[in-house]
Amino acid sequence: MRDEHRDGEHPTVGTYVRVALVLSVVTALEVGVIYVRQLAPIIVPLLLAMSAAKFALVALFFMHLRYDSRVLTLLFAGPLVLASGLAVALTTLTGAFLVFGR
Amino acid sequence: MSAPSSGRVLHGHPSALPGVETTATVLGWLTTVDHKRIGILYGVTGFAFFLLGGLEALLIRLQLAVPHNTVVSAHAFNALFTMHGTTMIFLAIMPFNAAFFNYMVPLLIGARDVAFPRLNALSYWIFLAGGLLLNASLLAGTPPDVGWFGYANLTSKHYAPGPGVDFWILSLQILGVSSVIAAINFIVTILNMRAPGMTMMRMPVFVWMTLVVQFLIALAFPPITVGLIFLMFDRFFGTHFYDVAAGADLHLWQHLFWIFGHPEVYILVLPAFGIVSEVLPTFARKPLFGAPVVIYSGVLIGFFGFGVWSHHMFAAGMGPVADSAFSIATMLISIPTGVKIFNWLATLWGGTIRTTAAFHFAVGLVGLFTIGGLSGIMHASPPVDLQQTDSYFVVAHLHYVLIGGSLFGLFAGAYYWWPKITGRLLGERLGRLQFWVLFAGFNLAFFPQHYLGALGMPRRIYTYPADAGWTAGNFASTIGAFGIGVSVFLFMVNAWRSLRRGAPAPADPWDGRTLEWRTSSPPPAHDFDTIPPVYGRDSYWREKYGPRRGPAAGATPPSSGAAAGIHAAVHLPAPSHWPIVVALGMVLAAVGALTHVSIVLLGVLLTVWGIFRFALEHHRTTAHTDQTGVLGLDHRKMAMWVFLGSECFFFGTLVATYLAYKGRSVVGPEPHQILNIPITTLSTFDLLMSSLLMVLALAAVQRGDHRQARLWLFGTALFGLVFLGFQAYEFTEFVHRGFTLQQNLFGSTFFVLTGLHGTHVAIGVLWLLSLWVLALRGRLGVADAVKVEIAGLYWHFVDVVWIAIFTLVYLIP
Repeated sequence: MRDEHRDGEHPTVGTYVRVALVLSVVTALEVGVIYVRQLAPIIVPLLLAMSAAKFALVALFFMHLRYDSRVLTLLFAGPLVLASGLAVALTTLTGAFLVFGR
Repeated sequence: MSAPSSGRVLHGHPSALPGVETTATVLGWLTTVDHKRIGILYGVTGFAFFLLGGLEALLIRLQLAVPHNTVVSAHAFNALFTMHGTTMIFLAIMPFNAAFFNYMVPLLIGARDVAFPRLNALSYWIFLAGGLLLNASLLAGTPPDVGWFGYANLTSKHYAPGPGVDFWILSLQILGVSSVIAAINFIVTILNMRAPGMTMMRMPVFVWMTLVVQFLIALAFPPITVGLIFLMFDRFFGTHFYDVAAGADLHLWQHLFWIFGHPEVYILVLPAFGIVSEVLPTFARKPLFGAPVVIYSGVLIGFFGFGVWSHHMFAAGMGPVADSAFSIATMLISIPTGVKIFNWLATLWGGTIRTTAAFHFAVGLVGLFTIGGLSGIMHASPPVDLQQTDSYFVVAHLHYVLIGGSLFGLFAGAYYWWPKITGRLLGERLGRLQFWVLFAGFNLAFFPQHYLGALGMPRRIYTYPADAGWTAGNFASTIGAFGIGVSVFLFMVNAWRSLRRGAPAPADPWDGRTLEWRTSSPPPAHDFDTIPPVYGRDSYWREKYGPRRGPAAGATPPSSGAAAGIHAAVHLPAPSHWPIVVALGMVLAAVGALTHVSIVLLGVLLTVWGIFRFALEHHRTTAHTDQTGVLGLDHRKMAMWVFLGSECFFFGTLVATYLAYKGRSVVGPEPHQILNIPITTLSTFDLLMSSLLMVLALAAVQRGDHRQARLWLFGTALFGLVFLGFQAYEFTEFVHRGFTLQQNLFGSTFFVLTGLHGTHVAIGVLWLLSLWVLALRGRLGVADAVKVEIAGLYWHFVDVVWIAIFTLVYLIP
């Protein structure tokens, strides 16, 4: 019944600082790539991937999902995935993605 | 027994625990945090609104009884069906369900209360405030008249200039807050407060359906909240969310409404399914046939419920692919629903049936909901749906679902649990009479409406010509509606007689199967003298009927935690007046929005002050320090994660709207012409670094380093303030350049999305500064680390939302 926290691990201050450093670098990269003309064809997926990576880093380390109970991960990731799906469906249905058309 | 101000702690041998006296004064009820009393408050208030909604229905039916009738004007008719729909859904059926959640769920899972008793009281008082505000529109002479669905652009200032729609928007927002708070509370309660031995699959089906419904509420209400915020901004501040001339798409409202509206159907009906799943086994003296399948079906219905909303919009012209997708999804959802019907029938098969009033209503649901379900499957086919849309066929369908499903189930629950709640039995003969009158009246009222719809009678018309062929059906329907009224009157008589001189109810009048029958009727304030042991599904039945069906039948006995629960002191939370203060503040702010901005300010101040006092009320109470539940998780931490899940839907809807409207503005500027990426990069970096300071603050609090805790908490708040400063600079700059909320669709979506995020940041800053002040005063110790942790979770979430906004709004071309 009891869902023990994973291995009793806890991130150190060093881990936090390293994560913050990665977040800063990725943010700088995000801003940098929009000025690189050669990346234009893949710019949207590239930016989405970098954004998702930052999102995951904050959730896993700063919000401790990597170390905490899986129940909490489920409580957050379930709605997150569902909400993302709904957002994609909504933008599609309103014609923003023009997948289904009218 | 002692009674400190923080609560009451009962000591002594469990068998010797006295019933706790609860004050029956008005103040006692106003400040109660007892789940049972709050359940009763929900039930009584819901019933009052139910009578009001019923009266509105009777007026509607009187007007339609004969052709060319003039009982009410066309305008009054519009107001009547709007208020009837809104009242019955939000102020009657939902609170009836909430009454049972509140009263029964802790008893069914072997708990002494919900996870957050004061939050539970807050939910009720906010609900009452919202209900009263909506009905105040009647007293003000300007009730809303746009239908319970409030389709745009009927709700625009142009078509609805009076304050009726404003009453409707504000009260629905308030009711939404109440529902989401309650949902978070019950999710944590059910997951984290079960008695030892009560595994998830041993939980009663009613508790399971409650859990599914709470997730639906927590996730489906944010989209409608966002839709209502857009509408509020359109009406109050001149934005363009539903302004076709500015490039907006009116379907947006329909999508947002039905993303909420279809799960709402399951929010209304699943609790009734849960009740029936308890009533039928009890009166058939058999276990529920295939209980796990009934549970999985409920979960699947909840899940699929999010994927079928556009079947309400087949007539809107979404295109063949979308129509096909939603058609298939709608047909799929009928499978788990049908499964339940067969499980209930199989439960009855071969049972030793006792035909009590509760049983009558439960069986009534099985039959009548099946009819409503079948007509629902018909709507899954777009060509058929196109013929039925906006006809009386749909009115018939939805009433077979919401009366045949919800109301019959709720009456089954009322007859079943009344003895437990009041300690007295209802009259069985009168109950059965009520059932038959309701059954006949309901079918007479709504079955002919299928034919009226098929004959082409549109819904929402206030009169009709004599030669349309609709006269007989309408007359019959009106007679039936009064039959329903008579049945409700019979219930009131029965309830009155029971309360006055009803036979006393024993603890277990129906030979029940679940834990609520293990305690007295009504239960003591602490619910159970000892935490009940749980041996398996239908644990109390196993406990009563010997070892063959008891623990020896392979059920796992309760863990040692049970013993700990039995001998632990019983802590009962103290009454609190802060919930009612917060609710008062909220309704005052809403009234201010309808009258004068100074009253808004007063309301907001009262709300914020109330929340502060609410939060600090038990800051030093040691009994509140450890809130670890059966999952080994702190209640507050779980609640925050559930809230953040709900917030995903809130911001997901906002971002989706921004994307849906991107490039649709009919006038400039466009995003690339005005957004300042270098400045925003700096503010993004600032917010990311604030998250680093937040985790450092938490680590400092956890190790008891007060100096560092103060430093990092203040640092986080300061970085938050800097972010807000950047945002204020950006907004001011835009306004100076003529880019405002009202400029174009981009302005409306941009300012509302980033402004609401900024509001979240501001709330976070206020929260962090409060913790910092506590730390300065030496009142933030290691034991308070979880309080910093949940503030941190909120803060990091605000951060991740900005990560998404930065990419989607600023960077993606």
